[in-house]
Amino acid sequence: MEMSPQQPFITTKLDEFTKWAQTSAIWPMTMGLACCAIEMMSIVSPRYDTSRFGAEVFRSSPRQSDLMIVSGRVANKMAPILRQLYDQMPDPKWVISMGACASSGGIFDNYAVLPGVDSILPVDVYVPGCPPSPDALIYALMQLRREIAAGGKANVLARG
Amino acid sequence: MAEVKAGRAATAALLAQLAADLGASLLDAVSAADMDEAVIVAAGLLPAVDAVRANGFNLLLDIGATDHHPLTPRFEISYHFLALPEDAVAGSIPSSGVVPARFRLRVFPDDRDPVVPSLCGRWPNADWPEREVYDLFGVRFDGHPDLRRILMPDDWEGYPLRKDYPLRGLNRRFNPGGLPGPVPPVVTK
Amino acid sequence: MSATDLSIFENERDLTAQPGDERDTLVLSMGPQHPSTHGVLRVMLRLDGETVVTADPEIGFLHTGIEKQAENLFWQQAVTVVDRADYLAPLSNSLCYVLAAEKLLGIQNIPPRAQVLRVMFAELTRIASHLVQLGTHAMDLGAQSIFMYAFEMRERILEIMEFVTGARMHQSWFRIGGLAIDVPKGFLDKMDDFIGRFPERLSDIRAILEKNIIIMDRLIGVGKMTAHEAVEWGMTGPILRASGVAYDVRKAFPYSGYETYDFDICTRTSGDSYARFVVRLDEMYEAWRIIKQAREKFPDGPVTIDDRKILPPPKTEIQHSMEALIHHFKLVSSGFNVPEGHIYQAVESPRGELGMYVTSAGGNKPWRVRWRPPSFYNLQALRKLAPGNLVADVVAIIGSLDPVFGEVDR
Ligand code: SF4
Repeated sequence: MEMSPQQPFITTKLDEFTKWAQTSAIWPMTMGLACCAIEMMSIVSPRYDTSRFGAEVFRSSPRQSDLMIVSGRVANKMAPILRQLYDQMPDPKWVISMGACASSGGIFDNYAVLPGVDSILPVDVYVPGCPPSPDALIYALMQLRREIAAGGKANVLARG
Repeated sequence: MAEVKAGRAATAALLAQLAADLGASLLDAVSAADMDEAVIVAAGLLPAVDAVRANGFNLLLDIGATDHHPLTPRFEISYHFLALPEDAVAGSIPSSGVVPARFRLRVFPDDRDPVVPSLCGRWPNADWPEREVYDLFGVRFDGHPDLRRILMPDDWEGYPLRKDYPLRGLNRRFNPGGLPGPVPPVVTK
Repeated sequence: MSATDLSIFENERDLTAQPGDERDTLVLSMGPQHPSTHGVLRVMLRLDGETVVTADPEIGFLHTGIEKQAENLFWQQAVTVVDRADYLAPLSNSLCYVLAAEKLLGIQNIPPRAQVLRVMFAELTRIASHLVQLGTHAMDLGAQSIFMYAFEMRERILEIMEFVTGARMHQSWFRIGGLAIDVPKGFLDKMDDFIGRFPERLSDIRAILEKNIIIMDRLIGVGKMTAHEAVEWGMTGPILRASGVAYDVRKAFPYSGYETYDFDICTRTSGDSYARFVVRLDEMYEAWRIIKQAREKFPDGPVTIDDRKILPPPKTEIQHSMEALIHHFKLVSSGFNVPEGHIYQAVESPRGELGMYVTSAGGNKPWRVRWRPPSFYNLQALRKLAPGNLVADVVAIIGSLDPVFGEVDR
């Protein structure tokens, strides 16, 4: 990006501009699954305040959001619904797997819980913890921003 | 019948009445550490519940099941009741709170075809817990209006909380990049 | 033909359908991903216009197999999974489980310091849980700022929790036979600070909400339940008390020394969503009173029983004594056995009577841990409460029932 001191405009590549736009307004989907969802709610609370990073606009509809935070254990009954929600999100889209349960099943190695949400969705960032503290989730968001800026999955759109 | 513990006047009368009403259907009456309980056969459940209700136990706390496999009889259905005094329900609120009593019925249905009469006609809140017991243990409730799975997906196979059902399930529904299949064995060193 | 003449559409309508007729209704599926179902709940609503005819909640989207998992862990280990059922009040869960196991083991001499700390933290969780309920409920009704206030206050409680137990949410701090660790230095200062600040903040929230015209409009008269209906449907906790029945497990069947505290049972008689909302506000204040009393009587002494067969010896002892090492090894590798028996233990969780029917077959793992999940029963009554109300009110009713799906589905 180049800023010209004399003229009121910026010259940049379209690619760079898209990435800039994508990184600075990540809109997560409102989807609380289990305990981790309570900590996910805390990130918009005054102490953690993700609006500093443009990610506080939790959208209730998958069609308006570009980040899915899988916040909690995914039961076998919920898995098809989760996949459907993911499919409904417009590209480009990202997934954060929050907590031990979403990442690997956690302490629930049993018949009811998926052994990791990555068996049904492509996950970009895993956050360890049970539940991860809100700082950890914010760190994951930062990590995601870096990934997008580096061209990671932002190319999903180009690949179709 | 065992001695009834002190301070349980409400249930002492009930136990005596159950013994008189049920006859051979009453297997045992115990004054346990937490509350009084009666062990009955499935056929005696409805008369027993009516007696329990007539003795002031107006709140059905819980219906749950336990699998005692490999012992027989295998399934235990436990009913917990709470008696809230009528005047407390009618609106006169004692400042110290009400002093209620609890009671438990344990029913042991037949192993091969576990069926218990449903309490849906007596208490509206019997609906969900009975469905849950059916879902997780495969015990059927005779007279339940809508007996189907509640917690597990509708097309689930097996009854997960039975003792002979493996903890990790029979097969895996969702596998990364592959077909669903048997659960891999647990590797322990 | 005038612009308002609709007669051309007449042919399209089924003229025999009358309002209230089955054919004149619409089925609306709300959830399982819906911002105001507080988790994963699907409600099948049958609507006549905007009025709900029937509401059928469908649950199980968070079924975690906690009961089965607990059967496969040692008695002491199971505390961790038990915590994760009602995730807004983890300590109420573990308190119930721990009390049940202690009764089966015949342990009666829990040291006073542990008792007081258990009460204190159970009440702190109650406040934290009610705050989340309050914030999310208010947000459903359109009041964003309350969410911020509530979570800011909850954050202070979590800070204390983290300071003491090392975890913000799932503390697993209560153990069979006492507590996992004693409180660190500086705990009492933090408590004093909290006790000093809380009433003012609570009254701030009260001032904003209690006589708020929007809240009153949305909640008064919505989801009404008489005392008889509440008893019939097996409601407990704030919902039963909002209908006028003064039943509180802490008073009726005291545990952990609740009989020595002075607190009131908060009741209302109207039985609608507003009454439940006010009862929860009152309860937070009562919880604060209990915490204050616990702080005043805060005794010295150990926080665990002195039984090496139940709890491992302190680290310093292990380094010197062979016997202590053996005890430790035994506990870690195979746990301890609990005598055969079954017991029903109940505590007053923020949502109502949380009961556990624990069966032991004499082994080192629980044979069965059956929950009596209060929000499972409370949520079931949605079928009774929703019909006759508008769709928008269903959101208010669900919020006022305060279901936690970890507990409903386990
Ligand atoms: S990782 Fe822990 S906090 Fe998160 S859903 Fe699982 S059990 Fe709950």
